[in-house]
Amino acid sequence: MPVEECSPAIVLRTRDYSESDRIVTLLTLYAGKLGGIAKGAKQSRRRFERKLEVFSHVMVYFKRRPHGELVFITRAEAGDLPPFDLTDDLGKIAIGSYMVELADALSREEAESAGAYRILAASLGAVARHGASRALRQAFELNLLRWAGYQLEFQRCQICARAPAENATSFVFIPSHGGIVCQHCRAGQTDTFVGLSAPSVAALAQLNSMPVEAASGAQGAGRDAEAALARFMATILDRKLRSVDFLHRFM
Amino acid sequence: MAEGSKQGQGLPPAMTRLVRELSRLPGIGEKTASRLAFNLLGRPREDVIALAEALLEMKERIVLCASCLGLSDSTHCHICSDPTRDSSVICVVEGPADLMAMERSRSFNGLYHVLHGALAPLDGIGPDDIRIKDLMARLSGEPPVAEVVIATNATVEGEATALYLARLIKPLSIKVTRLARGLPVGGDLEYSDAATLTSALSGRREI
Ligand SMILES: [Zn+2]
Ligand SMILES: [Zn+2]
Repeated sequence: MPVEECSPAIVLRTRDYSESDRIVTLLTLYAGKLGGIAKGAKQSRRRFERKLEVFSHVMVYFKRRPHGELVFITRAEAGDLPPFDLTDDLGKIAIGSYMVELADALSREEAESAGAYRILAASLGAVARHGASRALRQAFELNLLRWAGYQLEFQRCQICARAPAENATSFVFIPSHGGIVCQHCRAGQTDTFVGLSAPSVAALAQLNSMPVEAASGAQGAGRDAEAALARFMATILDRKLRSVDFLHRFM
Repeated sequence: MAEGSKQGQGLPPAMTRLVRELSRLPGIGEKTASRLAFNLLGRPREDVIALAEALLEMKERIVLCASCLGLSDSTHCHICSDPTRDSSVICVVEGPADLMAMERSRSFNGLYHVLHGALAPLDGIGPDDIRIKDLMARLSGEPPVAEVVIATNATVEGEATALYLARLIKPLSIKVTRLARGLPVGGDLEYSDAATLTSALSGRREI
């Protein structure tokens, strides 16, 4: 008989399986990313005190099945986990959707994901409290990329490791190098690049060393930075994120 | 999946084809599809013809009402053609099943608009993918509309749709209201009972 396990979790995705059952993908603190089936999820308020839908922050109880890939979700409780209420604003829903989709895309099932859970929880909490902002989006991207093993660099040239000149006004970001490259080193490069203004580089460098909780009040980097990060993510993700169009339209 | 695909093995092609078609229906796996196929095989010929004819008739006769986009067997559905209904109030729902749930509750006497979906950022479904333009065209035409009741589901998708519609409709000086909370755990209108819907409707608030 498999034992019941439990963990704080954030719902990344759901799919109705029947009139009353639901299949959910969870990013958990202790059990990695999990796919599970919740029988009666759409009917039992007793077992599913906090409903299982995208953005839900739940203490999830589950049992692993000997051969199935999906775990059995037996209960979902509120515990002392703060809810992420994003449904009062379209911009919040847009950025929240993008965040859960990116966290899903950068994590793998069966792999440790405590760091990703913490970043996503802090980010959705900040969105719920302060609303959507460009700085928050960028800090989330940079933090999550670092968790996934992609430490981007905005303070030194990725080739010669020198800090850019004080009076430099424009920079290039080269996705294949994972950071900025100085004018001097850029000469021999044929890889695609994205131009960045000096203020955007400064803002990215700051956001890159900041926890997401602190980002809501910070200065966001410009559209050029958004394009640079998007270009980098396109090189590591195997598909375009579905929530991106919605994000551009409503944030 | 591996277990399921064994089901088709050893069956004559005509059975395999039926099993495949049935298992494309929502909530029906290959096991259930096989059971249904064997059941049909064991029935009298007239039963099977009646089912086949019902399927074809549904496909040929049922159209979307030109006005509310609900299911109909004529250009305008029986609700839109009913002179006793209040044409100044439009209730917006996600799907035809939601319209039916509202009708069952007998608590609404206005007209409907069926969106055929909801905004779903994680599925890439945006405003142009559901029937919002049709609604806006209706609201700026005749007869004049005084209130739009947004009865989308109490889910993230339903709330996103409600927020977006409110943003579009309020500048037209039309009152926009939202059903009160209290829908079932899953948030789906179509599974709500009549009493719940009646109180959700009477408790609707302006947004
Ligand atoms: Zn250099
Ligand atoms: Zn109609």
